[in-house]
Amino acid sequence: MTLTLRICLIIASVLATFVVIHKIRKSRMHINDAVYWVLISLLFIILAIYPPILYFFTNLFGMQSPANLLFMIVIFLLIVRIFSMSIEISALKGDIKKLIQDIALGEHSGGDEKHE
Amino acid sequence: MSEILVIIPAYNEEKSIVSTVEKIRALNPAPDYCIVNDGSSDDTAVICKEHDYNLLDLPINLGLAGAFQAGMRYACMKGYKYAVQFDGDGQHRPEYIYPMYLKAREGYNIVIASRFAAEYKPFSIRMLGSNLIELAILFSTGHKIKDPTSGMRMFDRGVIETFASRINYAPEPDTLAYLLRQGLKVTEIQASMDIRTQGKSYLTPINAARYMVRMLTSIIIIQNFREKRKDYI
Repeated sequence: MTLTLRICLIIASVLATFVVIHKIRKSRMHINDAVYWVLISLLFIILAIYPPILYFFTNLFGMQSPANLLFMIVIFLLIVRIFSMSIEISALKGDIKKLIQDIALGEHSGGDEKHE
Repeated sequence: MSEILVIIPAYNEEKSIVSTVEKIRALNPAPDYCIVNDGSSDDTAVICKEHDYNLLDLPINLGLAGAFQAGMRYACMKGYKYAVQFDGDGQHRPEYIYPMYLKAREGYNIVIASRFAAEYKPFSIRMLGSNLIELAILFSTGHKIKDPTSGMRMFDRGVIETFASRINYAPEPDTLAYLLRQGLKVTEIQASMDIRTQGKSYLTPINAARYMVRMLTSIIIIQNFREKRKDYI
């Protein structure tokens, strides 16, 4: 891993941590959602400060360069996150649909009672 | 109207909700109660309506935190001085509500019905989790909460208002840690609990592991960065 990549990684992970912390401070983020990002930014800070961990796994998997492994890890984490977000959005859509229908049905039957 | 509201979040508790509510109503004097049906897929809501129980019927499932917050909003709106979090599955005993109330009136903001305030924790994997959370709270706040995962807790008016209006106040150990750091007074009284009579626990090994990671990260790291509340001090 080149020094430039290391420096970029350190800056980016520290920055990411600060953004997450800022959002928590302002009560703009649920703690359950924040846990994932806090753990990920910690992981990257650790990898940037102590790259031998990365070298060890690069050798273990027989990869060309630590950067490749790093990209692989990041892509994997992002796909996992996007997939879980996709599931969450589906659930939210279902919830909203049900709530809207409940309101409409409630108003309709409420209106009927008035006519009787 | 009683000064105390017992909030009973209920998710698929059709088999145990009646006995739970009847036990609370049998107390003398009986505290007020409010069942929060968390979008159950079974007949919990139907049974509550048949018995004419005081019911908040959520149309979709929000999870414990959302359901409990609905109860806290109700308590806030109706002006209750104390609110008790109480499981609908029959593991909590109503006879501890008044001892908790007496303790809260001594000036405590939160009173926990604790299985281990005076008794030793048995050794099991589940209790290992409890110990880890206890340790994390001790480490980050300097206070010892012997049963942080107990689901039976009493909150005073100030805490009710906070829970009712803000995000990130789930009725979980990490919120306790945060409130302890803000200088709130939290205490425990010894209480026995029953084995849940009906329904199954959410606590599969994977859920338990996930819960532990979330709680420990939250208590040790995230709670440090939350805004300091000046209105508590």
